[in-house]
Amino acid sequence: MKKRVCAGLVILSAMLSMTGCGSGGGSGDAGELNVFIWTEYVPDSVVEAFEEETGISVNVTTYSSNEDMLAKVKSETAGAYDIVQPSDYMVEQMAAQDMLLELDTDRLENLDNIGEAYRNPSYDPEGKYAVPYMGGVAAIAVNTDMIQTEVTSYADLFTEDFQDSLVVLDDYRAVIGMAARSIGLSMNETDPDNLELIREQTLKLKDNIKLYDSDSPKSALIAGDCSAGVCWSAEIALAMEENPSIEIVFPEEGPYIFMDNWCITKDAKNVDAAYQFIDYMLRAETAQQVSEEFPYLQPNTAAMDLLGEEYSSNPAKNVPEDVIASGEYVQNLDTDSLAVYDSIWTELKK
Amino acid sequence: MKTEKKDMAAALPMVGPVTLWLLFFVALPLIFVAVISFCSIDQNYNIQFQFTLENYRRLFDASYLQIYAQSFLIAALTTVLCILLGYPFAFLIARTFPKRKAPLYMLVIIPFWTNSLIRIYGWRSFLGTNGWLNSLLQALHLTDTPVDFLFHQGTTVLGMVYCLFPFMVLPLYTAIEKLDQSLLEASSDLGAKGPVTFFRVVLPLTASGIFSGSIMVFIPCLGFFYVSDILGGGNADVIGNLIERQFQSGNNWPLGAALSIILIVITLLLVKLYQKCGGSMESLGV
Repeated sequence: MKKRVCAGLVILSAMLSMTGCGSGGGSGDAGELNVFIWTEYVPDSVVEAFEEETGISVNVTTYSSNEDMLAKVKSETAGAYDIVQPSDYMVEQMAAQDMLLELDTDRLENLDNIGEAYRNPSYDPEGKYAVPYMGGVAAIAVNTDMIQTEVTSYADLFTEDFQDSLVVLDDYRAVIGMAARSIGLSMNETDPDNLELIREQTLKLKDNIKLYDSDSPKSALIAGDCSAGVCWSAEIALAMEENPSIEIVFPEEGPYIFMDNWCITKDAKNVDAAYQFIDYMLRAETAQQVSEEFPYLQPNTAAMDLLGEEYSSNPAKNVPEDVIASGEYVQNLDTDSLAVYDSIWTELKK
Repeated sequence: MKTEKKDMAAALPMVGPVTLWLLFFVALPLIFVAVISFCSIDQNYNIQFQFTLENYRRLFDASYLQIYAQSFLIAALTTVLCILLGYPFAFLIARTFPKRKAPLYMLVIIPFWTNSLIRIYGWRSFLGTNGWLNSLLQALHLTDTPVDFLFHQGTTVLGMVYCLFPFMVLPLYTAIEKLDQSLLEASSDLGAKGPVTFFRVVLPLTASGIFSGSIMVFIPCLGFFYVSDILGGGNADVIGNLIERQFQSGNNWPLGAALSIILIVITLLLVKLYQKCGGSMESLGV
């Protein structure tokens, strides 16, 4: 009997705390803001500092792929999220589906902190929907203790030297894109004949890949489970700090590049707070704090000044401009081509 | 007639909520999965409600068939290993040390209460190149270079065996405990030696436990995508990985739904086969 009472109390208190969350958040003076962001990308301390300063209570929900985010925003009731954080091609796609609010840039006082090179990117040519947050490239990491051959390109990773030793992103566009670039084709190839060439090239990688991991590819590199790999530049930067024998190589074919952005959803319930939040993230000090924890490519040039020499001279953190210029963004493709990409991926992973 | 109605009225508040629960959270989602498996997606990953068999055609692509075969192989190996390890263990609990039943039982149950993801990650750091096992082997000079344990099919099987072991032991234990001691004595009185008694008396009488244990190990294996992700490193995908991919990064829900339907059909066929062989649904906890 005693046990039952206990269990009852636990359930009751759980229910109370749940309803507490639901109503308590909404009744706050400055309102409530629902942000939907990538995992391991915005430090909790930054969000807490924003809450403290403004009195706005922020509900953070996270995702680990753009497609996942898109599906959730669509399946939730309208206005469930005020702010989303899509990557380049996803901004384009969401804008095309009329899911994003056209931004009033006058309300973003700190927008000037973003460097000229990052304004009006190809996926949002008029800068109407997106404010750049951070970005990077899919670079090559090499553990020089374990790998003696010199690596300069994606193509080098397809040789027998790398048998059963690579960690790659568990992301079909990244891996197939890398195979495409290694034979001089685009990451966004849709021509059926070229796709067959890409299939052939991708499958050559099969014996070389030891691990597919998007969440924390650095762990396998640091632990020495994998002697080389292809992953996001910031992951490599962190791996280099832990294990000095790891080096970063930017592929000479030009890497896969990405830029993540702040966007406000069309159905946002608390637009004022959303602008406040984005403007807060644009502050040089905030961006500096973010970069210190997650060393991605920082488009906030004012923050770059604060971050200093150590950051700006580290190519893994501050990816050089010519590398970015040589790279390629992922683009939206037609469903028939995507089906081919999917079949290549399944064949690789079988 | 009147009393029947009365009974129904009395039963309704009891059965009603459960029925509604099952309807909304089991039946409707399943129907939804079945319906969208015949749909397609448009350019923006929206589901198009137009009848097509394309998803089901794609299920028979050569690379998909190979992954089904690989799933079956992994599941079969896991099941066999679970039987070989679980049978002696269940025997130990049920017959050899009946007085130590509780602590032995707890050895299976306590890890079972811990989140399996955490335990699987534990294996990863245990087996890694710089993991404990390799450090131990090197300290003992059994090997100079670290042994490459992680990210193979074998590692996936290990993880599956580890996760599903309790599902084999528990039904085996129930079956072995029910075994009548006097039958063993009779067998021995009639001059049967240990192995003969085991194969001709004990094994046939506990076959039901092996059957239900096998079903309860084999079926989850086909869907345990995170074990093959974390320990197999993506090199030993099972059907669950295919489904997960279409619902997440692939964002092709109709294809994912068709794959789920296939997995459900396989499950039903296996359970049917199990019933045909004389297995009882009760021992599956149904």
